[in-house]
Amino acid sequence: MIPRLVAHIGRLSVVVTMFFSFSVASAYAGAEIDGLTGTDFTFTAKADCVSGADGLSLFIWGFANGDGRAQYPGPTLILEEDIPVTIHLKNEISWPEPVPVSLVFPGQMDVTATGGDPGLLTREAPPDGTTVVTYTFTPTEPGTYHYHSGTRPDLQIEMGLVGAIIVRPTGFDPGSPRAYAHADSAYDHEYLFLLTEMDYNIHRLVEFGRMDEVDTTTFFPVYWFINGRNAPDTMLMAGIPWLPTQPYNCMPRMHPGEKLLMRIIGAGRDAHPFHPHGNNARIIAKDGRLLQSTPGAGADLAISDFTLASVPGQTIDAIFEWTGAALGWDIYGHAPGDDPEPNEYMPDHGKAFPVVLPGQQELTFGAAYSGSPFLGVFGDMGPGEGGLNANAGYFYMWHSHNEKEMVNNDIFPGGMMTMLIIEPPGVPIP
Amino acid sequence: MKRIRLYRVCGLLMMVLAVAAAPAVADVWSQCPPDTDGVDTDGDGIDDNDHVCLHVSAGDGFINMGDGRLTYTFGFSDVTGIPDGDVMMAGMLAAEFPGPTIVVKEGQILYLNLTNVGMTIRPDLFDPHTVHWHGFPNAASIFDGVPDASISINMGSTLTYYYNVVEPGTYMWHCHVEAAEHMQMGMLCQIYVLPIQNNLEDGSDLNGFTHHTGYKYAYNDGDGSTCYDVGYPIQIAAFDPEFHDASLNVQPLPFAMMVDKYPMLNGRGYPDTVDPDPILNTADDLGLEPRYSQKISSLITATQGDKILLRISSLSTTSFHTLTVLGIPMRVVGQGARPLRGKDPDGDGPLLGEDLSYETTSVTLGGGEAKDAILDTSAVEPGTYFLYTANLDHLSNNTEDFGGMMTEIVISAPSPSPPVPAEGRFARPVGRKLLRR
Repeated sequence: MIPRLVAHIGRLSVVVTMFFSFSVASAYAGAEIDGLTGTDFTFTAKADCVSGADGLSLFIWGFANGDGRAQYPGPTLILEEDIPVTIHLKNEISWPEPVPVSLVFPGQMDVTATGGDPGLLTREAPPDGTTVVTYTFTPTEPGTYHYHSGTRPDLQIEMGLVGAIIVRPTGFDPGSPRAYAHADSAYDHEYLFLLTEMDYNIHRLVEFGRMDEVDTTTFFPVYWFINGRNAPDTMLMAGIPWLPTQPYNCMPRMHPGEKLLMRIIGAGRDAHPFHPHGNNARIIAKDGRLLQSTPGAGADLAISDFTLASVPGQTIDAIFEWTGAALGWDIYGHAPGDDPEPNEYMPDHGKAFPVVLPGQQELTFGAAYSGSPFLGVFGDMGPGEGGLNANAGYFYMWHSHNEKEMVNNDIFPGGMMTMLIIEPPGVPIP
Repeated sequence: MKRIRLYRVCGLLMMVLAVAAAPAVADVWSQCPPDTDGVDTDGDGIDDNDHVCLHVSAGDGFINMGDGRLTYTFGFSDVTGIPDGDVMMAGMLAAEFPGPTIVVKEGQILYLNLTNVGMTIRPDLFDPHTVHWHGFPNAASIFDGVPDASISINMGSTLTYYYNVVEPGTYMWHCHVEAAEHMQMGMLCQIYVLPIQNNLEDGSDLNGFTHHTGYKYAYNDGDGSTCYDVGYPIQIAAFDPEFHDASLNVQPLPFAMMVDKYPMLNGRGYPDTVDPDPILNTADDLGLEPRYSQKISSLITATQGDKILLRISSLSTTSFHTLTVLGIPMRVVGQGARPLRGKDPDGDGPLLGEDLSYETTSVTLGGGEAKDAILDTSAVEPGTYFLYTANLDHLSNNTEDFGGMMTEIVISAPSPSPPVPAEGRFARPVGRKLLRR
């Protein structure tokens, strides 16, 4: 019987790149979270649409960067510790009716607001397109935060007026990045997971000018988003032209032995148990504060878990690592004499694959399977199979474990889901 | 720039095969290589018994809700020990809910054979199945069970999963094919790993705590802080009856409208949770042979003075749930299959850091979470206590009030005569199905 695992000559051309993010629009070379840097920002609240991954258009209200198009979520702000920032807010929302909007910044202290009209939580920008409300604050603590409209937030956050804030620690070095001052927060790659939901009925009623019928107490979501997209759009490239109002993606990638920082934001109104397949993650901070017993101790109160419960309004910073250690077989398919890979678990070097895999006709193959159980190795799967694994990496589904949330308006799969790719050593990750 | 590699793996594979060659077409074929490495990895002093081989089937079946409603399910069932040629017949319509609980020891190697026996009631379905060991550390994609990322097994064939068990704690396992559907339909199970600290020599010192043979711990705590007398796995899940009926009646499945109405512990709604015996389903209502498909009781029994370890996990597909216990102090000692301890002050040594365990009266879990809680009955009067959900609307079996996510903890008075022997006790209520070797 021919063994299922066969040697394969590595591919010479990159294929199917359209599904993976290789481009990043960011100020930092090598940074993986798209966003705006600086100290002075202008947001314009506008009406627009987003695409559910089932193809449906959902009417939204979103924050645009300056005169650009509204986006969902709003622009991610990448700020620096102790550097004051100013955000000017204008409002052009006139459909279905003029509505005021505002900005609140959970976790930030001493936010001042000037201009516009008084509102319940803060000053609001009337929908005249010219009045500017100016918010200023100084982020004094590094970490992961978010912002959202403070005007009728039960409706306006649902409609899309929400976004992320990342505060870099003083002395942040992009070549050796940390989320906080302490070395316990060091990472090699960072990714944003801004989690939201949408009730399609609310968006329909608003779109058709039936605001009086909107009842947010009967909220029943059927769309779930990471960074403003439903799966599988989460895994498309950032900034693709056919999702003009959903510029951000969620395509985490790493190499064995590296540290991946997950910045999880509960930006909606439901709690979500976020489950990264592949290993536990170590929660090092919540709500922008390291889990530390005394200042300077580092994350000595960190909790390791395989499912991270994201609750509304809370942010979590977690470090995910994967080495393939102690699996009992050589994940690269080495012969005992072969050279080691970087960060390889050497006690398993050269150990044979421990079972016989079934024949091709007995298996259903995943589109992200390389054809081989070994990292960096392609295998034969028959015509038409696979195709989404450009580098023979290991794919792991990262998703909300309330499985109902992996659905796009009654269509499975979708929703609050993406994949982590553990790429073989040497594969470039921007 | 891609790296080009050429590997020869044929020879490696052939050396692994200890029994007959792989089948050429669809066939049930379980693998169980002998342990010939000459190393005792599970700490029991014997070097050729570290392999655990289990065989489960994946298919469909029926269970009864707490109000009696017959409900169509997908699920796993234990076919360990059944000859390969008989597995299809044994597994068809044998789905259990929850599926079989797997208990393994740190240091063992688990060969889990999964045979897809098809859906007898839905011959139009050709779903493959997988096993996802939820929380397995450093999992490799090939054995992680996510169908899009690797492989899943078609009807009539067997896929053998391999796990080198190194991390003690409480986990879950479930099918990940069309996860929202297969999990809602009931392909959910429990798995937990006993720590190697259980195997220490009698009299060993654990930083001031003296270990004796028979003492059991939830983790390698190094100080006896997770020691317990009786342990119970408790799994939270819930069913949407309309989803299951739609599956039975070949209708489109209501994913968007999924609303769970039968909250359960270990696959049953109260008062079935406290029935110590396996429950026979009423599939004879449909002209089918009735089967024991709910084999796991949630009745907790202990003697005053016992420490009860609750290995709580949730595989709910829709909601978070909070469990609470009236009258018995509870301390959460583990989460996500890790002890609640801070980092080792010296680095990565065997010593565990600051004690992060906490006393509480409530434990909240979303789908995919697991927590270990120890109930201390030393100051508790004998009697019947309740473990139930604080989501009080979930104390129901659909419209039948009251029932649902509740069970009983029965504490009996300690026996007046001889003191507890040094070997300790390991209570296992009748009817709980455990797979072990």
